Amino acid sequence: MLIRTILVRLLTTAVTLFGVAVVVFTLVRVAPGNPIAMMLPPGATDEDIANLTALYGFDKSLPHQFVIWLGGVLQGDFGTSITLRQPVDELVLGRLPATLELSIMALVIALFAGGLMAVLGARHRGGSTEVGLDLTSGAVLSIPDFLWGLLFVLIFGVFWPVLSISGRIDPRMEFDFTTNFYVIEGILRGRFDVVGSTLSHMLMPAMSLALPLAAMIAQLLKQNLKEALVQDYTTLARVRGFSETAVILREALRNAALPTLTLVGVQFTFLIGGTVIVERLFAYEGLGNMAIDAVINRDLPLIQGIVLLFAALFIAINLIVDLSYTLLNPRLRHG
Amino acid sequence: MTKHRHTLDVVDLTIEIPNGMRLLRDVSLNLEPGEVRALVGESGAGKSMIGKAVLGILPSALKITSGEILMEGHNLGSLSPRARRAAVAETAALIPQDPLTALNPVRKIGPQITDPLVRIRGWSASEARKRALDLLDRVHIRAPERVMNSYPHELSGGMRQRVLIAAAFAPSPRLIVADEPTTALDVTVQKQILRLIRELQRETGTSVLFVTHDMGVVAKISQKVTVLFAGKVMEDAPTRDIFTDPGHPYTRALIAATPSHADPNRSFSPVPDSLIADLHRQIAQDDSLYRGARP
Amino acid sequence: MADATALPRARGPRSLNLRLWLPAAWLSLLALAALLAPFIAPHDPLAQDLLMERLPPFFMAGSEPGYWLGTDSLGRDVLSRMIYGARVALFVALIAATITCLFGSTLGLLAGYYGGWWDRVISRLVEIWMAFPPVLFAVLLVAVMGTGLFSVIAAIALIDWTRFARVIRAETMVQARMDYVDSARIGGANRLTTLAGEILPNVLPSIVALLMLEMGIAVIVEAILSFVNLSISTDDPTWGSMIAEGRGAIHFAWWVLLFPLIALFLTVLSFSTLGEGLKQRFDPVLQ
Ligand SMILES: Nc1ncnc2c1ncn2[C@@H]1O[C@H](COP(=O)(O)OP(=O)(O)OP(=O)(O)O)[C@@H](O)[C@H]1O
Ligand SMILES: [Mg+2]
Repeated sequence: MLIRTILVRLLTTAVTLFGVAVVVFTLVRVAPGNPIAMMLPPGATDEDIANLTALYGFDKSLPHQFVIWLGGVLQGDFGTSITLRQPVDELVLGRLPATLELSIMALVIALFAGGLMAVLGARHRGGSTEVGLDLTSGAVLSIPDFLWGLLFVLIFGVFWPVLSISGRIDPRMEFDFTTNFYVIEGILRGRFDVVGSTLSHMLMPAMSLALPLAAMIAQLLKQNLKEALVQDYTTLARVRGFSETAVILREALRNAALPTLTLVGVQFTFLIGGTVIVERLFAYEGLGNMAIDAVINRDLPLIQGIVLLFAALFIAINLIVDLSYTLLNPRLRHG
Repeated sequence: MTKHRHTLDVVDLTIEIPNGMRLLRDVSLNLEPGEVRALVGESGAGKSMIGKAVLGILPSALKITSGEILMEGHNLGSLSPRARRAAVAETAALIPQDPLTALNPVRKIGPQITDPLVRIRGWSASEARKRALDLLDRVHIRAPERVMNSYPHELSGGMRQRVLIAAAFAPSPRLIVADEPTTALDVTVQKQILRLIRELQRETGTSVLFVTHDMGVVAKISQKVTVLFAGKVMEDAPTRDIFTDPGHPYTRALIAATPSHADPNRSFSPVPDSLIADLHRQIAQDDSLYRGARP
Repeated sequence: MADATALPRARGPRSLNLRLWLPAAWLSLLALAALLAPFIAPHDPLAQDLLMERLPPFFMAGSEPGYWLGTDSLGRDVLSRMIYGARVALFVALIAATITCLFGSTLGLLAGYYGGWWDRVISRLVEIWMAFPPVLFAVLLVAVMGTGLFSVIAAIALIDWTRFARVIRAETMVQARMDYVDSARIGGANRLTTLAGEILPNVLPSIVALLMLEMGIAVIVEAILSFVNLSISTDDPTWGSMIAEGRGAIHFAWWVLLFPLIALFLTVLSFSTLGEGLKQRFDPVLQ
């Protein structure tokens, strides 16, 4: 039964990914402007253009091009970037760690801050503390990451320049890492200067991404906590001598976290989507920043590769969330 | 202490909601060590309210406006919230009404029994585990080890109520509040659970405040009875006397309204509406006097 | 659920009114500024004056009278550009959000009420759409369609219809299971009449709230597209292009970033607060 559900999920996932591939392929092909003409110097002959067009396969019919491209993708060949003249998969995988580290840091901040606000609100439910927290989270929630990012740029760029507002790491930093996971590899190698510099560059973009999600977690988790806190098992825990805080943390939190989890999964994909503009804002060298450059430069293979990677990432996250929901819920695990 | 000490003394307890309406009206009752007192009355009479007040778990909107609750002689009202919680946890335990919602669905049974022993009473984990297994055995659970490792949804309603009874008796409380512990179960299981509570109560000598609306249960389990109507005590008497010689018309009506298991064909009559209306009228008079007397 | 609804009500109609009126006041002010821009803007928003570049706002030393909020790196008046920027922002908000709402809500109603193939196709489309990072999708669409107001509006509608479709589909499914729908059908109403006459009024509060939310989002998307230089032409005064300018000149003229940013904050907050307030006011369940 469980196996069947998983198989069905994987199949629909494949369909969705195929749909994404079709949409993005069609989109970038109908774009006006000849990318080949753009990459050649002004004096190029028609023959040059024809040669290069053939090299990138743009002379074939659209369905034919699609089949060739998809065939390549299935074999791990995403083509070559027109502007950067490197294999797309190398470029994309080189940037992915930066975006992943940023997104995960944002998620951690959101979980921590949102969880804290939810527990505080539930602990002081019915009082003015709760009303205050509700109003705050409501306001924070309706301001998108882009605006938070601008606000932080303004604050830390002008009024209180303690944090860097552009780049991923201090460019003077010298190091030689095998991967682009600066934080993770830095910790493993004990290069805490690299870790520190990366984190201080990451903090503000991560905060911008985290704030709306934190507010959402604060609201939803608090709601779920309050529902759990009127259940008989929490009453029983109070009679047994546990303090209200202990009741929230030990009895209510795990029950409340389950329904919150599904939402956090979907919202985490939105958060990753937000990295595109936030990275741009903070000149952070991640996937999203590269994507916008690719669009502006009409770098079709690169755009396709990046969008496909994002889509795969989103779908994978949703899959993981569904699976962990099943694993964490004892009623489903044995059912 | 030379004075004869009750396990529980509720003295003239009055509880109000914010608009001044009284949910309990000068309720008094006591429990001697080893005694079972039944608390009966129609739905909404305030039976659970008394239990909640005793255990210190009243909803925050409700206020105790007069009277006091003494647990083994300690006045709970004079203690700080933290000290009150400790005192209640030390002395009392609760067997809840609905075993389906009284166990945390995401935690295993074992820790739910041993947690309070370890974290509140400071037992060692192995002591607590031994105690839990012993208690599960005494509530006639056949595979205690396995049950300790199960999640609540893997057990039937009756099994869960056994688990909750075991958990209630595990820390050797001197007082147990049992709030209609059988109403959520089906009839055959009800009898077993009732027998079980009586058995354990006799073995341990724990006092029990047993909330019910079933006069049949009252007869089986209790030595004393408090009859409650609209938050007011109608009658407080030994169980024996209540059935042979009920002192209040409402008690008489309640007994008449109880279907007899021994003789299912015996006709029973619901509590007459006229009586209820009379009682409400009296209480309304009391209330207006009470309001007039207030500053 | 009970708690969420009880809380605002417990705080009474007064605070609800305040939460409706404050945002409404800001948005009206904005609308007025947009309509009367040629009359109230102190300067031509496009006029460059290199002698007047990077003047600080009125409360700082070195400011010039008449340039209340200072000037940008080309000497253009920030206040005037903001007033004209309100035109673009509100226009995009109204048009783009309305189109998005009509398109998405219709699909959501159809999927939720008819179910079957309707639902399967629409849900799969939503799923595919949700697999795109929305900002990247918007940037890509505008790059494909070419810059300009029309492209921006089309891009917003093409991306955000899923928000309406998802929420309205779910709510329609809940409503469709209610007894009143059955009794309407038994009473002889056909499916389309039932959908329009019975279900639509019940999901309308959500649609209105989403519509308001979407207006705020549209303003942001336009600003983002301007920020990456893909909205309407780069000279035109929009809050987004001002922000892009201000981001570049942040160390020399931070006010070019600050004031449009404040306008964006207030506008987005107003739209979403107004949406929530209207939803509570018109929700038949909460009445
Ligand atoms: N939080 C509250 N606020 C206001 N009134 C309450 C609250 N909780 C309970 N009540 C009222 O107090 C009265 C007594 O409730 P209680 O639960 O003690 O009744 P009961 O005798 O246990 O009834 P039952 O047999 O149905 O369990 C009821 O009329 C109920 O409506
Ligand atoms: Mg009760």
